[in-house]
Amino acid sequence: MKQEKSIIDIQDLTKYYRGYAKPALDGVSLCVSEGMIFGLLGPNGAGKTTMIRILCGLLAPTGGKVTIAGYSLKHDLPEIRRIIGVVPQEIALYPSLTARENLAVFGGICGLRGSVLKTRIDELLHIFGLEKKQKMLIDRYSGGMKRRLNLIAGLLHKPQILFLDEPTVGIDVQSKNVIIENLMEINLAGTTIVYTSHYLEEAENLCSYIAILDEGHVIARGTLNEIRNEYGSALKLEDIFLEITGKNLRD
Amino acid sequence: MRTILNLIYKDYLVIMRDRGGLAMLFIMPLALVLIMTSLQDNTFRAINESGINLVIRNDDADSLGMAIEREIYLSDFFTVHRFIDNKVPTEKEIRDAVASGRYQFGMIIPEGSTRRIREQVKNNVTLLFAGDSTVTPVSDSVLIRLYVDPATKNSLRSSLQSSIREYTTQVESRIILNELTREMNKHMMLPLANLNRMKQETVFYTEEYVARGDKKVIPNSVQHNVPAWTLFAMFFIVIPFASSMIKEREDGSLSRLLTMPCSYTSVLISKILVYLVVCYLQFLSIMAMGIYLFPLFGLPALIIGGRLADLSVMAVMASMAAIGYGISVGTIARTHQQAAIFASISVVILAAMGGIWVPVFIMPPLFRQISVISPLNWGLNGFYDILVRNASLPEVLHYGIWMMLFSAGCLLTALYYHKLRKEFN
Repeated sequence: MKQEKSIIDIQDLTKYYRGYAKPALDGVSLCVSEGMIFGLLGPNGAGKTTMIRILCGLLAPTGGKVTIAGYSLKHDLPEIRRIIGVVPQEIALYPSLTARENLAVFGGICGLRGSVLKTRIDELLHIFGLEKKQKMLIDRYSGGMKRRLNLIAGLLHKPQILFLDEPTVGIDVQSKNVIIENLMEINLAGTTIVYTSHYLEEAENLCSYIAILDEGHVIARGTLNEIRNEYGSALKLEDIFLEITGKNLRD
Repeated sequence: MRTILNLIYKDYLVIMRDRGGLAMLFIMPLALVLIMTSLQDNTFRAINESGINLVIRNDDADSLGMAIEREIYLSDFFTVHRFIDNKVPTEKEIRDAVASGRYQFGMIIPEGSTRRIREQVKNNVTLLFAGDSTVTPVSDSVLIRLYVDPATKNSLRSSLQSSIREYTTQVESRIILNELTREMNKHMMLPLANLNRMKQETVFYTEEYVARGDKKVIPNSVQHNVPAWTLFAMFFIVIPFASSMIKEREDGSLSRLLTMPCSYTSVLISKILVYLVVCYLQFLSIMAMGIYLFPLFGLPALIIGGRLADLSVMAVMASMAAIGYGISVGTIARTHQQAAIFASISVVILAAMGGIWVPVFIMPPLFRQISVISPLNWGLNGFYDILVRNASLPEVLHYGIWMMLFSAGCLLTALYYHKLRKEFN
């Protein structure tokens, strides 16, 4: 296991949104070790997306301290942006551009140039089965194709840490399978992955470490085995999840 | 720099792929300038080229009636009609025709008007020469009836009234001088020449449109309208600009950019540069239309008198003001609807305040003072000073500086709001 060295260190992270009395994140402290696939799970409104947005520098925390690969989130955001890749929940692509044009723009911004960029785009389009549709406008892509391209755009510059916010939501089994398989390979190649999902079975198979968030608090954490040992070894992750978060609707 | 080049490439592709948006950016402003200038030009011609219909019934076959009819005919303001449906109209027919809007004015000069003036003057002169100061001069008025279409401008009505008054006074004074001559000759040993010979015009005036330097400028509706509506059209770029920003924010692509080595300032710089080119091309296409296409539509050609470079500087600065405004609207508005409604209404308000619709000098005093805070007013003054007042670029640069400061203010507001949104959203 490569889970000795901490790459993300979160201490007492708090986030209040304007107009809300309750915090979205209430003093969360977590540590993500280098090379792990870290599953951030929780019901709707638990604070997962808020946490990812803070770690990516899109939102400023109200309080707490975050260090990513030794860089302070508060002071070293430009450096952090160079080593992270983000795959947001929404299809964050330009629909009037082709797949290759989208990737050329994002890759260029991430510092890739010329033949390096071209080779990397070709490689990823091939891996995710999009090379034949690379000149098609994203507008005409299917949901699964868009999801795959959304992922590729976050992988272009071979990030040290990859943040994935529900990367497989709303797609067919084949696309989901391609994404999960490739995420495992990317992780094996050394990329640390922070992953949120509602698909607990997927998380169960993919994640080496899990934290369950609810109402802004971490209510469970550990490897899957550690969590099972605490809540009942025969239970599936979904049963454990329901047991500790309850069955009430959250949104 | 590489980041900005990549962003420019992206913004260029996004604009080029949006055919509807491109049409809005170029065809609509051209159509707006063409239509508004044509409309304004027609109004201008309606007043200047016998466009106003006047029906007259002249029952006075003498000096007054003939003078009024002749002068109105020669004035070029009116198309004079003596018949309605090929027959001399009655007073009622004139009244009804004006009420229906067929004619803007109807005029009836009663029978014997000149004779009554002559008799009245004659009596009064005779009485005066009789030396009886107790006798009050006779006053028997002549009533010229004028019917006015309610849709006609007050200024036209006033203009016609004062013209009639002027012609009447001329005829009256001629009759007075004739009668005075006749009466004086009765009392004098040597006959006196007709006093009407004294009645010579001694006061004349010349008129010249003055501009700086030696350049002679003859303003027309095109010279006035093209700069005004070009600015208005350029400011309407606020809507597609703000909309593109909101779309990028809503679909998450802005968020993706901001998780990469790319700042919000870089995103804005790229958009400013791309839309600046769009605005400048808009400006050039409108100028080209004014110069080459307007004559094909029967309009006077736009004359820029070799000042394209100076006009371009003002156009770029006006574009910066429009884009800056678009950035602040696009950053602050939360939805497309908010941005579209706010941007369109606020641009119309700024245009109205700035003198695009109505010249500033005829605004009420309060609005005249307010007009100086509209960036469209700065742009309009800059364009007018160059185009019709022949001002040099340094003389109008202060308007450009105001527009650049406005743009900078908008930009800083947007950056500050973006920071606030990141912290408190």
